[in-house]
Amino acid sequence: MTDVRPDAGMHVLLVDDSPGDVRLTREAFRDAGAAITLHVAADGVEAIAFLERADANGLAPRPDLILLDLNLPRMDGREVLARIKSDPALRTIPTVILTTSGAPADVARCYELQANCYLIKPVQLDRFESLVESVNDFWLTKARLPQQPDPG
Amino acid sequence: MRADLAARAHTDGGRSSSDPLTLAESEARYRGLLEAAPDAMVVVDLAGHIVLLNVQAEQQFGYRRDELLGQPVKNIIPEGFAERLIADDLRSDADALAQHIGTGLELVALRKDGTEFPIELMLSPLASAGEVLITAAIRDITVRRASETLVARMEAARVLADQALRASEARYRLLLEAAPDSMVVVNQRGDIVLLNVQAERQFGYPRDELVGQPMTNIVPDGFAERLVADALRSEEEARAQEIGTGIELVGRRKDGTEFPIEIMLSPLTSPEGLLVTAAMRDISVRKAVEQELLDKVAALRVSNQELEEFAYVASHDLQEPLRMVSSYTQLLGKRYKGRLDADADDFIDFAVDGAARMQRLIADLLSYSRVGTKGRALGPTPSHTALLQALLNLRSAIEESGATVEHGQLPMVMGDPMQLEQLFQNLVGNALKYRSAAPPRISVSAVRGDQRADPEAPWTFAVTDNGIGIDAEYHERIFGMFQRLHGRDEFAGTGIGLAIARKIAERHGGSISVESQPGAGSTFRFTLRPTSDST
Repeated sequence: MTDVRPDAGMHVLLVDDSPGDVRLTREAFRDAGAAITLHVAADGVEAIAFLERADANGLAPRPDLILLDLNLPRMDGREVLARIKSDPALRTIPTVILTTSGAPADVARCYELQANCYLIKPVQLDRFESLVESVNDFWLTKARLPQQPDPG
Repeated sequence: MRADLAARAHTDGGRSSSDPLTLAESEARYRGLLEAAPDAMVVVDLAGHIVLLNVQAEQQFGYRRDELLGQPVKNIIPEGFAERLIADDLRSDADALAQHIGTGLELVALRKDGTEFPIELMLSPLASAGEVLITAAIRDITVRRASETLVARMEAARVLADQALRASEARYRLLLEAAPDSMVVVNQRGDIVLLNVQAERQFGYPRDELVGQPMTNIVPDGFAERLVADALRSEEEARAQEIGTGIELVGRRKDGTEFPIEIMLSPLTSPEGLLVTAAMRDISVRKAVEQELLDKVAALRVSNQELEEFAYVASHDLQEPLRMVSSYTQLLGKRYKGRLDADADDFIDFAVDGAARMQRLIADLLSYSRVGTKGRALGPTPSHTALLQALLNLRSAIEESGATVEHGQLPMVMGDPMQLEQLFQNLVGNALKYRSAAPPRISVSAVRGDQRADPEAPWTFAVTDNGIGIDAEYHERIFGMFQRLHGRDEFAGTGIGLAIARKIAERHGGSISVESQPGAGSTFRFTLRPTSDST
């Protein structure tokens, strides 16, 4: 949970168990010049715990965007997605699936569970970088997101 | 007693005190008797001349009385009668007569018109004044003879038939015993009539425990049903349907154990009506071998599938770590190129290139294994649409190379649309890639095999190009996995395209081959099965 820019307004929760991918994503956001704070959960259980802390007592910042991998240890991404979208306090947080799986069944299932977007991690570095840049540009720059509830 | 009478008749002559009648007297008396007789009657003296006759004789022989009286009896009975009256050298008259009187002689009579007819002759002596006369009762036996002949013929025929039947039965029995299979003859009720030693042995019964018993004792199911016509079929139809075809049923031994048999039924006509011969063969071994083969095929299929899944999972899971290697070597190159020394730059380049190549190999391996693991069920598919889609995918390569692609309307085939598209794409893509100096000219066509010879005749597709061609030496090798004929700097690619093409063709029940010479272009041909209604 390293802040890219400690004072930046946007918080992004990245749920991914691969340190290599986490670092690559962080590097890509940095190269894209994104003004975000990137929080990381290494599995589904950690992700839910983070969101509950944020929801219950504001011990963690409520993320503006969730980037969710599907194949995770302990609790997989589909279940995390289902929990988020069935929780009235969390369901408004845009949740973007970022995974290597291109299986049509996974795509369909995630949209059924109200995923906001489904993205496949490109194999080539430059294309991965440009994808992260697009996410930053669209979700964190151009899109108008719901107001953060006041954690008081 | 007959001899006594005859002797008396002969020797008494006219001296007999007990018979003092004159010829005229006796003739008058006797004539009445003659006329009353049902048969033709002729009285003859010992010299063989006719002395007296009745109306029946006149009618039977077609003479008037006066034409016969005093005439030799030979005129009406040419042979056998007169000779019997006249004593030969060795016999006395009395002896000769005695031999014949009272016995029915069958002779031939002659009518006035020359026609002959069979007669039975009964002789009896007639003592007359002073001489011996013979009364001959003559019966036309034409009808009796005819019926006798008929009876005799029928009897002869019956005897012959009987012999033939017995011979054929014996022959049949021999055949039964000589047969290598169990043979059981069954009547229409389904009861066993006859069987051979092989059947005794195979079913474990002594013969007498089976004869007369229902066939269901040894073939519990399926046999009787085939003999007895059901309500919807005539007996003949039922028989025609089953006879001559091998049916697989279950046989049951006396000890209750069962074994698979193959039964051949054939009809057998016999005096007891239509019988059915059942030849039964124990097919335990064949069945076991068949089952073993099926098991092996199933096991092979499972292992094949496991292998494909292994290849799929392995290549899929290899992608992840490889993506890390590839991404971070690229990141290294991007951030540090020119900031370390020249060696470091080279090393980074090699690492990046190797990782990229490995990614392509794994991606190709994945698409190769997907042909088997991710293919859809084959169904009627327009090959035309598949080709058009493939050409669309190749549009930029076609435009860049200035290629022309010709094709007519292509048929409906049994296929997986995605895979057919890939098949066309790989073949047309190859034609574009291995082009000569001239702009590529590619044609795609399909012809149907001779449907008269084979109604299921497949479609043969041909993709022809004017490219660099392939040496005959490599015509088989090019369809192998990762087979390349050119250096990487000449033509890019892993060498999976034609291997995938072959795998698709084979998964579709077809085959693929190439006809080519270096410098003379190539024609790739593959076959696909027709849909049931394609023409």
